[in-house]
Amino acid sequence: MENMKRFVWLILLLTASAGAFAQAGRAGAKPMHTVAKGVYEPFFRTAATLPVPVAAFRLDEYAVTNAEFIEFVKQNPAWRRSRVNRLFADKNYLLHWATDTTLAPANAPLLQAPVVSVSWFAAQAYAKWQGKRLPTVAEWELAGNGTPRHIRFHSLTDYILDWYKRPNPKVLPPVRSTYVNQYGLYDMHGLIWEWTFDFNSFVGSTDSRGNTTDEVQAFCAAGAVNVKDKTDYAGFMRYGYRGSLKGNFCIQNLGFRCAKSI
Amino acid sequence: MKQLPLLAAAFLLLAGCNPSPEETGKAAPGPSVAAAPAQPVSGLSSESVYQLPDTFQTQNRQPFLLPELAGKPTVLAMVFTNCGYACPRLTDDMKAIETKLAASAGQVNYALVSFDVARDTAEQLKRYATEKNLGNNWVLLHGSDEAVRTLSVLLNVPYEKTEDGNFSHANKIIVLDQNGVPRFHQEGLGTNPEATISQINALLR
Repeated sequence: MENMKRFVWLILLLTASAGAFAQAGRAGAKPMHTVAKGVYEPFFRTAATLPVPVAAFRLDEYAVTNAEFIEFVKQNPAWRRSRVNRLFADKNYLLHWATDTTLAPANAPLLQAPVVSVSWFAAQAYAKWQGKRLPTVAEWELAGNGTPRHIRFHSLTDYILDWYKRPNPKVLPPVRSTYVNQYGLYDMHGLIWEWTFDFNSFVGSTDSRGNTTDEVQAFCAAGAVNVKDKTDYAGFMRYGYRGSLKGNFCIQNLGFRCAKSI
Repeated sequence: MKQLPLLAAAFLLLAGCNPSPEETGKAAPGPSVAAAPAQPVSGLSSESVYQLPDTFQTQNRQPFLLPELAGKPTVLAMVFTNCGYACPRLTDDMKAIETKLAASAGQVNYALVSFDVARDTAEQLKRYATEKNLGNNWVLLHGSDEAVRTLSVLLNVPYEKTEDGNFSHANKIIVLDQNGVPRFHQEGLGTNPEATISQINALLR
């Protein structure tokens, strides 16, 4: 009996360590690139706003794909579409999947496309499972501002605005199908919008519909807000978009990629 | 009839090969899953913010899980104690609610959760509680960056750390029911608390 017990413990131990290896292997499988330390200029600013220094960090080369997210929900059944709590993901969660863990055969090309219709909570859980985290707004913007290696536009802003102009494609293209930037990161613009850790950090209101409370009263340190560069319409769109989100929203052009501190 | 034992054996085999999804989940490699439980925690409503699994710490250095607030309505605000303008007023607004609910003393929780992960230690929160004369029905909490951000997302309290170490944030006083489901929020500073009071009284009935 005692031997039996010992044997069971051994098996458990082996399983656990094999698991640890598998995890390390998987985390290492997806290429990440270093974004050098830099300074992030908040898009909206008050008189008190200062540029934000951002420490160097690592960011996934491309967004989390449907194939990768399928693996996650397989291993974390609580995050399957049929089981997830509405508090953490609204009814559009993984709406484009055929079942809890598969895409329709006709949608096979989507396996390598970014996963979309995922909530902030789901993205957080995925990142944690990978031993990573979501990038902050400052980190994402710094990485997103990386100079494109080859684009046929006059500037990155022109490129982004051209993307905003086009309707969502019927079939989302695979990751690494747009441009690559100076850090080796693909598709920072041009494919999907991406979740950030502190997406709810913009406290001035971009929503002028609810005008019931005086803004200065509703927000501490709101005051007069100005924009850094009035021609940065693309930046304005991103801030407006983030400001309109709630954590359980699942939207068909919103996905994510993971970051890691160095 | 002959097939019955075979069928039974087949079922056994199937059962053996298909561990329930929960078991697969547990056997999954790596850090044990999720930032937040994707399913309702047993006993809590599926809309309860008390499902946030993170452990906070109180002004008395006690570990604190949000479900400890369950059973009574809770009046909650997110603040930071270095705040020179809004937060003391937000705290005063909460005290005004407590005063108006004096008849129900002890039946309502008052909670402050700090944005300031770095500076609002238990000691600092204790000092603040003493300074502001916050009684036994008050709990002041600090937690990890992730726990505080997740709570802010659940409660729709946007905030941002500014480069001078302070925070710009929404001014909201939130009423949670006995299960931790947000039922009402009072926005702004010095807002007339009548609507908030009647919400809490409705919960107490």
